[in-house]
Amino acid sequence: MFTPKTGPELWLYIAGALLVSGVLVTSLQLVPGRLRKPLIALVTFLAGLFYIAEFFLPVDPTTRANFLTDYRAPIAQVNQVLLSFAVGVGVYSLLTLHTKNIVRRRQGWGFSVLLLAAMFGILVTGLLKEYRPNPINQAAFSLFFDGGLKSLDAAMFSIVAFYIVSAAYRAFRARSVEATILLVSASLVMLGQVSLGQGLTAGLPTSGFLSNLRVENIREWILTRASTPALLAVELGLGLGALSTSIRLWLSLERGSYFEKDV
Amino acid sequence: MDHATPFARVFLLGLFAVIVGMVLWAQSGKRFFIRRIPGLSAIDEAVGRSAEMGRPMLASFGLGGLNAQEGVITLQALAIVSDVAEAAARFGNRVIVPVRIPALMPVAEEALREAYTRGGRPEAFQLDDLMFLSDRQFAYAAGVSGLINREKVASIFLFGTFFAEALIIAENGNRVGAVQVAGTPSTTQVPFFIAACDYVLIGDEFYAATAYLTRQPTLLGAIVGQDIGKAVLLFFILLGVVLTALNVPLVVNLFADQAVPWAEMLRPVAPAAGAGG
Repeated sequence: MFTPKTGPELWLYIAGALLVSGVLVTSLQLVPGRLRKPLIALVTFLAGLFYIAEFFLPVDPTTRANFLTDYRAPIAQVNQVLLSFAVGVGVYSLLTLHTKNIVRRRQGWGFSVLLLAAMFGILVTGLLKEYRPNPINQAAFSLFFDGGLKSLDAAMFSIVAFYIVSAAYRAFRARSVEATILLVSASLVMLGQVSLGQGLTAGLPTSGFLSNLRVENIREWILTRASTPALLAVELGLGLGALSTSIRLWLSLERGSYFEKDV
Repeated sequence: MDHATPFARVFLLGLFAVIVGMVLWAQSGKRFFIRRIPGLSAIDEAVGRSAEMGRPMLASFGLGGLNAQEGVITLQALAIVSDVAEAAARFGNRVIVPVRIPALMPVAEEALREAYTRGGRPEAFQLDDLMFLSDRQFAYAAGVSGLINREKVASIFLFGTFFAEALIIAENGNRVGAVQVAGTPSTTQVPFFIAACDYVLIGDEFYAATAYLTRQPTLLGAIVGQDIGKAVLLFFILLGVVLTALNVPLVVNLFADQAVPWAEMLRPVAPAAGAGG
């Protein structure tokens, strides 16, 4: 729908957007306090109305779209742009917190030094790699990103395997009827998943009544007849809960917690 | 389903009317009952324990942001954490809130400041306790785990969208002996929370939490509305089971992703080519 702009036209658009944003922000600041809440409710309603109308309005059978469908992508992009402005808020939070840690020599302040050094290191090398691409800058960025960040990410992810073992050990202790059912079901699923477990009942026929007692068939039954329906029931409740909460938020009917705060 | 089929239009608008109707009925003075939810009753216990031990609490909104898919979940999580913070303020506790999405920072700051004010101790709110850690999943998990271990938190509240980091955080909480209450619509993470946490909100209990904690008529009305919706869906499921067993695909066609012409609603499904035995 919108084509990318380049050259002077791009700068004209940026200047125009800044001007419009400035006027909008100033106007919002001038809105009297008693009108701010109705204004927020109106904007929320209109924003939600777009998606609801786009979903409910009949579509052209050939294009499977209505007159609002083309605007979905640009509106989603506007949303992304607005949210990305908040990155600065995160950076500010990191800077203030860790600078305070260093200045006040709080316990573990050395880690704050390391964090800020890494943050600026990856920022500078990232910019250099993008705007002054050469082997040294690319290697410097790779040192931070591939050698540091990605490896640390992978290390944290690998820890999950150990935590699964410790959590499973606690969950599988047969302390109650429910825990015993869980233990037995989980053991059968695990046995049915691996060839070693399947070997235990390999002597049973593959068809007929007795085939139901083969461990891989028991595993299949538990997963498809017990686990999946229960999961679907939970998801049905979640879907209705999300719908109900969305309606409350959309119509500004939400009460309690921070929703009744004066703005 | 990208767009509503004719049946979905009628069905969803009907659900919408029921939920809004119940909210308006509740606002006009009708009192609704909500059953006890152990996970939410445990919040006061966890807050009290934290006060007795003189250790802080930690609350996380998970990885969810404010986009279309996760926005409702995150706002609901924020509302629950806000109620937890209010209880914490009454007991004079610190609540550490590590955040993964920068856009949440100003919203969470306002919510927590307001919660401490409602709790009668606005001066107890410390801005340093609300912190952005990282928008990367495992960096966030490492940061939260570090906080749990360094601060030796007494209670942990995990509400919102969680993925593989759920177990890392919850197991660290378990290691330091914290009372943990968790609630997430991410069904794949619920088993991990059940294994590692003391109390878990399952399914739509997550969305009922604010109604339970605040007893606001509007919220209770919405819960009743969604329960009526659940009963209607249950009726259609049972009807679908019976009719499908009789080879009448009415319910399957009504709830299909693509609109089925009304004339073909009752036409039995032909056996798939090659199906036998």
